[in-house]
Amino acid sequence: MSTIKPFDFMVKYQQQKDWIDGRGNFIAFAFFLGGIAGGLFLAAAYFDNLLGIFIAFLLTGLMGVSYMLHLTHPMRFWRMMSKPGTSWIARGFTFIMLFGFFTVITMILMQWAPDATAAITTFKVLAGIFAFAQSIYTGFAVSYVSAIKIWNSAIVPILFVTCGISGGLAILLAVMMGQDSTNIAALENIIRVVLIAFAIIVAVYLWNATYSSTAARDAVIRLIGGALAPLFWIGVFLFGILIPVVISVTTYWVHDASSGLLIFAVVSEIIGGLALRFAVLKAGVYTPLLPAE
Amino acid sequence: MRWGMAIELKRCVGCYECVLACKAEHFLPPDIFWNRLLIGEQGKYPQVTKLIYSVRCNHCADPACVKVCPTGATQQREDGIVWVDEDKCVGCRYCMVACPYQMRSMYEDGKSQYFPGQELTEHEKIGKVLYPHMPGVVTKCVFCKERIDAGLAAGLTPGVDREATPACVISCPTKAIHFGDLDDPNSEINRVIKEKHGHSFHPEFDTQPSISYID
Repeated sequence: MSTIKPFDFMVKYQQQKDWIDGRGNFIAFAFFLGGIAGGLFLAAAYFDNLLGIFIAFLLTGLMGVSYMLHLTHPMRFWRMMSKPGTSWIARGFTFIMLFGFFTVITMILMQWAPDATAAITTFKVLAGIFAFAQSIYTGFAVSYVSAIKIWNSAIVPILFVTCGISGGLAILLAVMMGQDSTNIAALENIIRVVLIAFAIIVAVYLWNATYSSTAARDAVIRLIGGALAPLFWIGVFLFGILIPVVISVTTYWVHDASSGLLIFAVVSEIIGGLALRFAVLKAGVYTPLLPAE
Repeated sequence: MRWGMAIELKRCVGCYECVLACKAEHFLPPDIFWNRLLIGEQGKYPQVTKLIYSVRCNHCADPACVKVCPTGATQQREDGIVWVDEDKCVGCRYCMVACPYQMRSMYEDGKSQYFPGQELTEHEKIGKVLYPHMPGVVTKCVFCKERIDAGLAAGLTPGVDREATPACVISCPTKAIHFGDLDDPNSEINRVIKEKHGHSFHPEFDTQPSISYID
């Protein structure tokens, strides 16, 4: 096909910009914050860490703020629960509200009624269900878009939730280091497993995308060798996978790793998680409407 | 009743009259297009085919935009027309992302004008009164539902009577665009689609568009 066109709208592969440019940046932040907030709650609930649960609640609040900044009419936000039957954004908004509600009750019980173990467990489980839902729905919201082939994959929700859990575990590690917790070794073991799983899922996702369609393959090429390569290789691979994995594996043998090194791994993991959301959203391209050669 | 279009590609000369008629009919602000012309080429010299597609919202029978809208702002009428309730739209842009045809726009700058720094044109001034567009909401082709509704109320037949037919259809100088009721087996549009083998644009998107193209 000739390169000379009156204009290129939907004649070439067209990058989606509605969820990445301008206000669209805020939805990438919202997806990231929702993911790590959910992951942090699950990890903190497992280790019975009230501060971790509180930070997860705060991060969910920040997610809400980021969502509001994304909307052009934020005062109508209450309408966003109108259609949970078909819209993942509506479902997600409901999950966020319910997660916040059950988390507040859980925190109140843990702080002021620590003997009510049955009630604490009940609300912790309820909040945990919605924490997981909050973490994974962002992936479903993206993967539901059949128009963008690299998004339209069943692996995306798994990728997002794994990334959220790894980020949440990293934040909990920082929290527990500050508290001199005795559970740090156990947490580190979980982080090692999750990080390796995350790396495998990223690789499988990209490999799978190259076989799904030409639009998805084009997006993968842009990610690993095109305009998005710095974001992918530095943000996702270096910060999100390589540095945390190297530090995690190193600490497996060197038991007295410095806290500075672990904090660096935590920060690196968080940067990687954010970079992943941006990379996936930026990689989305629409199939041209006119037949290409 | 389900309104639809059939566009004869061989008749289209790429004059952009449908685009301009839509702009004028709905007083569309700068940078907002409810319909467009896609122009490309296929083949290699000396056997090259120029492709000209007049495109707009397909008013799909199974629209992705209606499903993903979290507020119910994007709705589908019983006659198949997909429209956006400006008072319900929060501006999340999920519908814009989900539309595989990319036929939606966000009207962001409420102060935009065709001749910045100068006074609004008379057309723009009238548009602010007759067809005000709310900034910060998603906007798209509505198949000129105002003309259809007013026409039906007056006993006219959309697709047959000029006053009840979408602006892009009546303005086409080559009569490349047909409009009518897809549910009426005796309608002119169904005859054209059947006789000339009309087909959907990218049926693989699986949204069942109401617009057919005839090669």
